Amino acid sequence: MEVSTKDAELELYTIPAHSSWFVWEDIHEIERREFAEFFSESSITRTPKVYKEYRDFIINKYREDSSKRLTFTSIRKYLVGDVNLLRKVFLFLENWGLINYLKRSDDGSMEESEAKVEQGTPAGIRVTATPLSMRSVTVPPLVEERAEPAFKFSPLTSYSDVFTGSKKPLVCGHCGGESSCDSAFYQHTKSIVSLCDKCFKNGDYGENNSPDDFKLIAAASWTEEETLLLLESVLKHGDDWDLIAQSVSTKSRLDCISKLIELPFGEFLMGSSSGRLRSSIPTSEDENLSSPSNLVDQMKADGQEQKETETREENEDEPPAKRKRVAMLSDGGDSSLMKQVAAMACKVGPSVATAAAKAAIAALCDEASCPKDTFETTCDFTDFAVDRADGDKGTSDMEEQQEDKEGPQDLPVALRMRASVATALGAAAAHAKILADQEEREMEQLAAIIIDQQLKKMKSKLKFLDHLELIMDAEEQVMEGVKETILQERISVLQFAFGSDGFHHLLPKLLFSSAMVTEWSVATP
Amino acid sequence: MKASGKGPVKFRMPTAENLVPIRLDIQFEGQRYKDAFTWNPSDPDNEIVVFARRTVKDLKLPPAFFTQISQSIQSQLADFRAYEGQDMYTGEKIIPIKLDLRVNHTLIKDQFLWDLNNFESDPEEFARTLCKDLGVEDPEVGPAVAFAIREQLYEIAVQSVSSARESRLSKKSRRGSDYGSASKASGLSMDLVKLFSFKSSVVRKWKDLDVYEPMVDLLTNEEVDALEAREERHAR
Repeated sequence: MEVSTKDAELELYTIPAHSSWFVWEDIHEIERREFAEFFSESSITRTPKVYKEYRDFIINKYREDSSKRLTFTSIRKYLVGDVNLLRKVFLFLENWGLINYLKRSDDGSMEESEAKVEQGTPAGIRVTATPLSMRSVTVPPLVEERAEPAFKFSPLTSYSDVFTGSKKPLVCGHCGGESSCDSAFYQHTKSIVSLCDKCFKNGDYGENNSPDDFKLIAAASWTEEETLLLLESVLKHGDDWDLIAQSVSTKSRLDCISKLIELPFGEFLMGSSSGRLRSSIPTSEDENLSSPSNLVDQMKADGQEQKETETREENEDEPPAKRKRVAMLSDGGDSSLMKQVAAMACKVGPSVATAAAKAAIAALCDEASCPKDTFETTCDFTDFAVDRADGDKGTSDMEEQQEDKEGPQDLPVALRMRASVATALGAAAAHAKILADQEEREMEQLAAIIIDQQLKKMKSKLKFLDHLELIMDAEEQVMEGVKETILQERISVLQFAFGSDGFHHLLPKLLFSSAMVTEWSVATP
Repeated sequence: MKASGKGPVKFRMPTAENLVPIRLDIQFEGQRYKDAFTWNPSDPDNEIVVFARRTVKDLKLPPAFFTQISQSIQSQLADFRAYEGQDMYTGEKIIPIKLDLRVNHTLIKDQFLWDLNNFESDPEEFARTLCKDLGVEDPEVGPAVAFAIREQLYEIAVQSVSSARESRLSKKSRRGSDYGSASKASGLSMDLVKLFSFKSSVVRKWKDLDVYEPMVDLLTNEEVDALEAREERHAR
């Protein structure tokens, strides 16, 4: 983008658009700021006049031959003053494109105020033969329009390693079979030999190796059986990670903990298994052990109150949510929230709640296959739970409703919690929508009333103004009549005066007064 | 007219980087080592030893040079440090700097004005620009020019220390006319003061242009040899 002086008689000099503030006659704020030493009146050699001279001289010198690049050395001999300061002025002008703002030539080697782009490698670097996997980065030359060109860098090898991830497969030391690095294998403690799972079990340890030499390195991925084992052992052992790690033999403690956290409902299992807030709500019989049902109640109580205040996203984001729940528990205000849940659920019709619950469950189901299965098979329990709640609408005892919701004891924890959550959310949403509609209608009504009133006001004002206008018209008529009569009088007087010819001494006065008359009247005969 | 300058400043090189010019010229057993470079006085002293050892090794000099080199550097640095505690005159001081040096095949003659009080001045940058604008190809010329500038600045800075001391001693006697004090206080020569006054222009007169223009000459081998021989004779 360039701005040029328009006059055909003058030479055309181009300077960049961002320098259009420059004027010959004055020193701009930008210059004042940059060269504060010239404007601080602290020295004889640095005055605004001196600065202006430097600047004007340099620019004029450049424009003498604007096709050639002006060098600092060629200019400094002309100007008296500290060369460092002169250089500063020179660089300033060059950076703003007021001098040396040259067009690119074809050879591409001309320097400009922008960065010079060289093709190939810089002179000081020697290019050696590069291994095939490495590709050098090349920069294409700048485009004519000086627009930012789209640089295309070929990817470096490290990039492809990290992002496309070629993990090396494991080669078993004994049978030579390859396995992916995700699976479990046995690593010799002293050497780098590794054995695959099968060989170890078969007892082929290789020469002079004993089973003790090998250390199990757990696979990174969890199979279905392992997950199932983990869940069972968590329910059985609760918080005791050593026991859990033992039962899930292929995984270490840390692996178990992290896997459990990753599972959607794992947090609840861990939270409840610590045995906090045991409730005294009686539980009905169950296919599983009785203690899990207690735990399950616990978790339900915890989950309900906590899920109330959490958003859906946080459900999926287990670790931070877990901390939140801990805080909530310590507050201990669970009963009021539970009551709210129950209240909301009954206010809304059962069909709405059911629909909402179903939809919510479908959405929440997507995370893991395990809970999904349980959802599928026990979907009817949701309906059951809701119906029970519905049937008990008549009773005003909140506690009972609470219990009833917890009725189906053989449901896994996650299902019940989700059902209640979905119910609550759905009910709240529906109610809110109704209220919102109502509010809107009211607002519209009020607005209409206001508009009406305003219109009435305007109308009465207009009426009043019309009345005034009529009066004014009448007045005007009267005034016109008065004017006419006065004029007639004057005319007759004049006629009489001129006609009789006996009032010479009155003539000047009459003339004067007639002049006055002609001033403000229109016609005289 | 106000005299410029803040309060007195502790002595240092009046450039953006406080680098001391060090010149070495050691002769021993028929071998001669000449060098000129800048040294950062805030470097730890063991750097000198490291430098000397490396120089002897790289240039394959006899080991006796090692002590000579380090001693020479040490004494020059000590001189510099001796001035460091003292006050320097601050106030604008525009001095002419002259260049008249030969580096390998390049001969440079130049003259320009330099403000001693401009602590942002950069001889290296100036030398780089000079070589680039004049198309000097020899990469040793730039540093040599910068060094020459630095040497002169150093000399004059040392002078200003002593003059500052003198002026403090003679503070009692008031200075004369304003004009005189302006030039004395600001360290400018009278002509310069007149130049920067309101009426005249800072564009140099024609007659002075030749003096202030840089001249670069490329010498032939014979000329170089001749000049070197002459310098050797002068040295002895």
